[in-house]
Amino acid sequence: MSVFHDEVEIEDFEYDEESETYSYPCPCGDRFLITREDLENGEDVATCPSCSLLVKVIYDKEQFMCGEEVPAPTTNKELVKC
Amino acid sequence: MDDLQRNSTRALFVWGANSYGQLGLGHKQDVLLPQVLKEFACNQKTLRNVAGGGGHSAVITDTGELFLCGQNKNGQLGLNHTEDVIHFTLCSSLSGCPVAQVACGWDFTIILTGNGHVLSCGSNSFDQLGVPHILRGCSAPQKIESLKDIVVVNVAAGLRHVLAATENGSVFQWGTGMVSHAKRTCQEEMIPSFLKAKEPSQVTGLENIQVKNVTSGSYHAASLTAEGELYVWGSNKHKQLVSKDDFLLKPQKIDTHYFLGEKVRRVWNGWTHMVAQTETGKTFTWGRGDYGQLGRNGMLCEGQSRDEKRSSELFLKEPLTVPVAVPSLIGASEIACGSEHNLAIVGSQCFSWGWNEHGMCGNGTEANICSPQPIKALSSGKLLLIGCGAGHSMACCYVPG
Repeated sequence: MSVFHDEVEIEDFEYDEESETYSYPCPCGDRFLITREDLENGEDVATCPSCSLLVKVIYDKEQFMCGEEVPAPTTNKELVKC
Repeated sequence: MDDLQRNSTRALFVWGANSYGQLGLGHKQDVLLPQVLKEFACNQKTLRNVAGGGGHSAVITDTGELFLCGQNKNGQLGLNHTEDVIHFTLCSSLSGCPVAQVACGWDFTIILTGNGHVLSCGSNSFDQLGVPHILRGCSAPQKIESLKDIVVVNVAAGLRHVLAATENGSVFQWGTGMVSHAKRTCQEEMIPSFLKAKEPSQVTGLENIQVKNVTSGSYHAASLTAEGELYVWGSNKHKQLVSKDDFLLKPQKIDTHYFLGEKVRRVWNGWTHMVAQTETGKTFTWGRGDYGQLGRNGMLCEGQSRDEKRSSELFLKEPLTVPVAVPSLIGASEIACGSEHNLAIVGSQCFSWGWNEHGMCGNGTEANICSPQPIKALSSGKLLLIGCGAGHSMACCYVPG
């Protein structure tokens, strides 16, 4: 069984609406990828197309699996409060 | 100038991960052994700074010209377009404005000019450009206007944030990459404004301290003072900050006793490990070490045999999270850290250690290296400068001509 390089919260992934894919930096310079469909199916392993490393995605499976519209973790609107 | 320099030519060697053409070799295949860049515009020039981001690379000549290559999806090469570039290319929009230092974040670039101004280009998804009116990103270097009256002397970039040290010894930070990490460990209202700033914001907690140098890990930051003290803050997920807390909201000094009472003179960061050199040349490593990135000869490296592990464990007197001096790195003149690998110039040799899946350690294999080993392919040159991107490596040398 592979060892995860890291465990990463879904909010730290960037979401590309066109490909419906979440991505997160991989140490090799490429990106760990997992599609929205994967998450809806309960999968939680994001893979890098260029190397063997894997990350475990931490997310609320129920929220994704019931097919609700989940907001992308993009701009940090809530973070500007000072 | 010695004989080697007089009778030789300068050359930039590159190796490691190359998914986006970040090695500048004209292709996108990984390279396991250092390979010289033959048709490189800078081969007759002296390089001042070699740096890498996630999938891009940047070099500066002694006349302040900036050349870049690699991934450019977010405009991180500053070339006014967003196509990947597989050969080092001059950033012509900066002509007449010499560059002093370049720092590469994951998918953005921070440019420090000779007159102390800071420009940025690339992704702005986490406000890391310091220019809040730009939405997604920018492919042309933009001046950070809010710093225009401040002379910046040193810049550093994390995955999604930036640090700048000023002439008068203060530190500014911007980019919101650390916020989600901070929020998991404390209430939102406790997060200081510099950790969630869309524009340069002065780091609090360093007011009476003269910072001369800033460096950055993936989600942590470090400042070195003129007095040789090392302050760190940000994510401590892999215990790289020599603290029990999961996140440090404010700069915290790493006690001098960890460095045997010596002043720290230089510091470098991988994504989640740190390297520091003291006034007597001792080189300490600490933080995450599971790919051999601490070079301590005792780490549990993948690919080691059980016997090797057992014997090397005998060397392991201190946990990874405590700074320990690595004997083979004493007196290193240069060090560079990638995400999970490292390079060092010690004497006339270039050493490498750590994660090696893409050949970034340059020994021709993909097996991790648990203690610093000389790169044989660079043994004939005189090493001048080294630099790393996340998964790639660069070294500028004099080679016999």
